[in-house]
Amino acid sequence: MDKRRIFISPVTRIEGHANITIEMDDNGNVSDALFHVNEFRGFEKFCEGRMYTEMPTITPRICGICPTSHTLASVKACEMIQGIQPTYTANLLRRLMHIGQNLSSHALSFFHLSSPDFLLGYDSDPAKRNILGIAEKYPDIALRGIRLRKFGQELSERITGKKIHIMGIVPGGMAYPLTEDNRKALLAWIPEAIETVQAGMSIIKKFHEENAEMVASFATSPTLYLGTVGPDGEHELYDGKLRFMDTDGTILQDQLLPRQYLEFIAERSVNWSYLKYPYYKPFGFDKGFYRVGPLARLNVASRMRTALAQREFEQFKQMNNGKPVHGAFYFHYTRLIEALSDVEDAERILNDPQVTSTHIQHHGRWNYEEGIGSSEAPRGTLFHHYKTDETGKLKMVNLLIATGQNNPSMNRSVLEVAKQYVKGDDIKEGMLNRVESTIRCYDPCLSCSTHAIGQMPMVIEVKDKKGVLLKRLERN
Amino acid sequence: MNCYMNTISIIIDDQKLETDPGKTILEVCRENGIDILTMCHLKGVLDIGACRLCLVEIEGVNKLLSACTTKVAANMIVRTNTDRIKKYQRITTELFFAERNHVCAVCVANGKCELQDLGYKVGLDHIRYPHLFPQCEVDTSHPWYVMDHNRCIMCTRCVRVCNEVEGAHNWDVMNRGHQVRIISDFNSPWGESETCTSCGKCLHACPTGAIWPKAIVQGQLQKNPGMINELVEKRKMKL
Repeated sequence: MDKRRIFISPVTRIEGHANITIEMDDNGNVSDALFHVNEFRGFEKFCEGRMYTEMPTITPRICGICPTSHTLASVKACEMIQGIQPTYTANLLRRLMHIGQNLSSHALSFFHLSSPDFLLGYDSDPAKRNILGIAEKYPDIALRGIRLRKFGQELSERITGKKIHIMGIVPGGMAYPLTEDNRKALLAWIPEAIETVQAGMSIIKKFHEENAEMVASFATSPTLYLGTVGPDGEHELYDGKLRFMDTDGTILQDQLLPRQYLEFIAERSVNWSYLKYPYYKPFGFDKGFYRVGPLARLNVASRMRTALAQREFEQFKQMNNGKPVHGAFYFHYTRLIEALSDVEDAERILNDPQVTSTHIQHHGRWNYEEGIGSSEAPRGTLFHHYKTDETGKLKMVNLLIATGQNNPSMNRSVLEVAKQYVKGDDIKEGMLNRVESTIRCYDPCLSCSTHAIGQMPMVIEVKDKKGVLLKRLERN
Repeated sequence: MNCYMNTISIIIDDQKLETDPGKTILEVCRENGIDILTMCHLKGVLDIGACRLCLVEIEGVNKLLSACTTKVAANMIVRTNTDRIKKYQRITTELFFAERNHVCAVCVANGKCELQDLGYKVGLDHIRYPHLFPQCEVDTSHPWYVMDHNRCIMCTRCVRVCNEVEGAHNWDVMNRGHQVRIISDFNSPWGESETCTSCGKCLHACPTGAIWPKAIVQGQLQKNPGMINELVEKRKMKL
């Protein structure tokens, strides 16, 4: 049978560069779909031979969106090598910076990249289906989204002097304290930030109500979930232990130390993507797909740490009677619940009397040959694993990135949505936008760098099995 | 007749200056607030004219001469900022960056680096020469310090300070051309050196992130190259 293929290249409004191939049979039905990540970075290899203490500086450069998460996973691995712990105040400041990054990333994902689909519609003019289109039609929402991102970045800037590739998170603690002036300036942002997150929450809830059927059926394949939780199972981003949950909500593993990650996670390479396929080892490759990120974190968590977020969390939990919610669309909602928790938690930390203390660093030196650290990046659990020689020079680096762990599920979701929406000979741009939006639900961080909106062309080519072009759609 | 018996007159950049004979052009320029770019010069140790950044034009001399190794002479006319000199400074700076692997963003010396400052001063926005991308070792064998040859510009300030000020002569130079390398003892790991006293003067002398303490990360590096000359001067004091 002659096959036709649709290439979506590149996938737009995501961080990084990727393509999607949709294969169709003669009847115009989707037979397969593949999500390709066509970038190669090589960090694990070229970091070999460097001093382990350089990793908190090198690895944030992996990503312009989640550099703080990389730094945190990296310093924790370094602290394991040194056998030391950060000071109380350093932990507060790290949490604050991590919250800032999470807020900034979630604001970018929701307001800048995804809200055009919700507010302007999936089938609206692609030229305006972006943050500029939102600014034109809903200027207040666009401004609020931009300012929420600014607040997130200011949380880092007011501690370390830099907004993005932050410095100052060092093994043993922090290099810079928080001044009283900066503490007050950050506190002043809190009411506005809470209002903005709640405005986002209203948008997504309204969309859920008006599109209940679509939301309920959009990429709903059940998977396992992995997330970090506190000692009582509470939602946690910065420091905690790991929890695996199955599709029905049964806790498979709880309070695992991040250093045990290789006992439970294995990876496999595929020939169509540079992104590897991690899976839950005890269930094997075919049944061990698991997801990480906001949806996974809220699925595995027993409760939130803050009041307003807890109220939303309870509503979220009721959606599937306390069992995990599988629909990829709920990533957006859970992202906003997390953002709400972030702002409330930032307020709590900024009111801690110890937050401006100058006791911010413990000092250590190389003691052990191996270090493993983890943190919850905006897109999910992140692991850094280093092995060194007896002088501290790196012999092995393994980085297990959040998006990588969502890769098998993203691929499956793309197929599911393609089967649902792409049909027949007359392929409409709106159909393909729905396929792309599946990827946007996961907010993947592929190259971990942003690109300017509106400058990214998209070409979709429908070819027959021999590669002969049957149809070409262009988006500028 | 000159009324100051021990001084001479020279002209630098159209500015007439009285100075002591025996000084270098660089010393006179620095005393009179005339900016000259340097990388290998370090006050307190001998100048060797290695980096070629301080080249100046001297009237009557065809070739450019290094200001750090050329002594002033009576009625000398010197120019430090002609287009020709600026062109060579730019070329030299580009070659520094092209020769080894300088990645400022992840370097421990980011923001505290003389090479980075030099790049900003000459307006380095791109490099016209192909990068060599040599495979350089990172010597982590010393218990306290790291020697990263990727970031070394062969100014040899570490070699001179170790020899002339500390008197240990742990550091030296081997090979030629772009194969040239700083070595510890007879090219053995720094941590196995029989001569290094672990004094740390090389760390303060190093203008880049090539030598740095293991205990710190980016943003924490503190270098004090002026300390070298202070030591030298204090040793001259008679108690």
